[in-house]
Amino acid sequence: MDSLRVRIRSGASRNRFAAIAATTTLVLGLTAACGSSGGSTSGSADSGTIHVLVYGDSGNTVEQQIVDTFNKTSKVKAVLYTIPGADYQSKLNTIINTPQAPDIFFNWGGGSIAPYVKDNLLLPLDSMIAKDPGLKDNFLPSVFNTAVVDGKSYGIPMRGTQPVLLFDNKQVLASAGLSVPQTWNDLLGDVAVLKAKGITPIALGGGDQWPTQMWFEYIYDRVAGPGLFEQALAGDKAAWSSPDSVKALGMVKQLVDAGAFGSNFDSVKFTDGGSPALLAKGRAAFELMGSWEYSTEQSSDPDFAKNGLGWSAFPAIPGGKGDPADIVGNTNNFYSVLKKTQHPDAVAAFLKLMYSDEFVQAQLAIGNLPTTTNTPTFLSTSASPGYSQFQFNLVKAAPSFQLSWDQAYPPAATTTIHTAVQEFFDGKTDTNGFIQAMQSLATS
Amino acid sequence: MSALSSAVELGRRRLKARRVGVGVTRPGFVWAAPATVFFLLFAILPLVLVAVLSFTSWDGITSPHFNGLANWTTLFHDPVMTQSIWLTLLLTVLGVVTQTPISILLGVWAAGPQRNRAVLSAIFFVPLLLSATAVSVLWRALLDPNFGIPGQLPWLFGNGNLLGSQSGSIAVLTFVGMWQFTPLHALLYQGGARAVPQVLYQAAAIDGAGTVRQFFHITLPQLRNTMITSVILMVVGGLTTFDTVLILTQGGPGTDTTVSAYYMYEQGFKNFDFGAGSAIALVLVVVATLISLAVVRLSGYDKMRSTTEGIS
Repeated sequence: MDSLRVRIRSGASRNRFAAIAATTTLVLGLTAACGSSGGSTSGSADSGTIHVLVYGDSGNTVEQQIVDTFNKTSKVKAVLYTIPGADYQSKLNTIINTPQAPDIFFNWGGGSIAPYVKDNLLLPLDSMIAKDPGLKDNFLPSVFNTAVVDGKSYGIPMRGTQPVLLFDNKQVLASAGLSVPQTWNDLLGDVAVLKAKGITPIALGGGDQWPTQMWFEYIYDRVAGPGLFEQALAGDKAAWSSPDSVKALGMVKQLVDAGAFGSNFDSVKFTDGGSPALLAKGRAAFELMGSWEYSTEQSSDPDFAKNGLGWSAFPAIPGGKGDPADIVGNTNNFYSVLKKTQHPDAVAAFLKLMYSDEFVQAQLAIGNLPTTTNTPTFLSTSASPGYSQFQFNLVKAAPSFQLSWDQAYPPAATTTIHTAVQEFFDGKTDTNGFIQAMQSLATS
Repeated sequence: MSALSSAVELGRRRLKARRVGVGVTRPGFVWAAPATVFFLLFAILPLVLVAVLSFTSWDGITSPHFNGLANWTTLFHDPVMTQSIWLTLLLTVLGVVTQTPISILLGVWAAGPQRNRAVLSAIFFVPLLLSATAVSVLWRALLDPNFGIPGQLPWLFGNGNLLGSQSGSIAVLTFVGMWQFTPLHALLYQGGARAVPQVLYQAAAIDGAGTVRQFFHITLPQLRNTMITSVILMVVGGLTTFDTVLILTQGGPGTDTTVSAYYMYEQGFKNFDFGAGSAIALVLVVVATLISLAVVRLSGYDKMRSTTEGIS
């Protein structure tokens, strides 16, 4: 009995010691971990590196190539970091005001950087441009201006432009005896014919919500011109309840009610390949999508991308105020610079590579379309010259290139816009409900 | 082995002795220190911070600044918030109602001595090995209206617009939750059913009770504590449902499946309004605590006794 008690007690004290030791180790480990992660960034900044943060996807090969080119001649070395696509904006947001923030980061211009400009985190690039006007003059103005906030330039275009186009399945159209719609009534006529043949007229990845938004962007532009959205974005909420806005919503409704999108579009997504497959397999005739539709189809069905995929500008709406040459979409991607960077000269040298011949050729080779003034020289080298030429001419001739609504507004507005467009398509929200939702958005 | 069991037995006696006041020292606080430190650091501290954040406006970039009760007044007038609580409760109840009967039947069956039982059980438990994300991505693809199962069975699914309506989305979330979590609970019930003393069945068999009667009058009552454990796990899991919603419906269509946990994420990490997100988190904590307390009280979990007491 007594010996047992002794055994238990000594066991207890041994465990007590072990517990203390374990706790101490853990706490020390935690502090050490925090310390090292904080320290490494500031340390490396001193030793001459600039950190470049990019949206992670298949395009990163070119970004890496450009970084390597830069490092060949520069004393200050560039290091590329990527964040997997879908989480990019939220992760950027969590690090941008910390010691882990990069020197240069990828963005969409417009509303995607407006909050950072407001919080005084970004470096205006105007003095860099004054030293080297090429940083501005070598890009198409309509594109460059997307990253101008309050009259100051905050971004240098990188990657390519991504206008939204009306894609079609050429075989489906041919077998139904239809041609690409030039006007709104053509489109409605095509919808009626296709529906009668049992084909979903237009594939829509409604589950993603942003593909639905593209229909609003174009119809608003064609009916009211680009001014309405610009006014609304500038804070004039009455724009949303104007007669033009109501008319545009009526036309959206008309198209949905005509059965243009079928009935199960909210269960379909673009991002998991659902809606592109509908188009490629001939179960749908059209899809309104960003220019990346081509590379999406190419990776899943190369033969269709090459022979079956057609593309055209969005149809004109006669009597509307918008120019039929107007386009919407993602104007471009941009590199912006953080104010705290310790190597602004190296950053400027790095940004100059964004209009180099090497950059343009590398982007064209992977299917992106840069918007530099030297792009036309290399268009014939692109992955699909005809497609690249069509887009470049479209972007160059466009009187207005409206940035996607969810990118033009600050990120906080995204959910509200996406919910509103989806519920309007579902019929869960009427015209007034949609207008109220858009008026509820904070604009600054 | 026997030395160990006698030591444990001794420990038990010592505890009983202490209760009646004989002065034997209990294991000291240090025993609980690691767990306590972790709990304070990773549960209580964040909770306090979240409570503080809920009275601020914070975009996650600049420093938070206090805005009084603004988040809370917005929240109480927010129809999406009210709806999200009901949706969360609905999904929780649906989860318990659908998963419990199947888990009990599967678990009790898996506890038996049948041939092939081990092989079939191993197959049934496969979903348990998959991450929630993998499960959601899998079902998202299987339920595609054009190229998935609904596209092949139009007589059953109509136009296949499962995720385009509120009832359809809730049904999908419930079904995927059931597919994913039933194995875990079946495993619990299997363990519970194995622990039921065989004498009870033997006695019942002598009294002429058949399999069905044995199930309802011995197995089920004996599984009471397992059931409580399992239901509590389901309730906690149901209240924090997030990953399936994120991948399958993204709270949609519209806001039709925006459950509280997803709404919190949306406010914080999509709209960058961490103040509002924190307020939702706090509401969720309060609701979940109240429900857990209610379950514990109603089920008698707090004074749970061994069901085998008095038998051995």
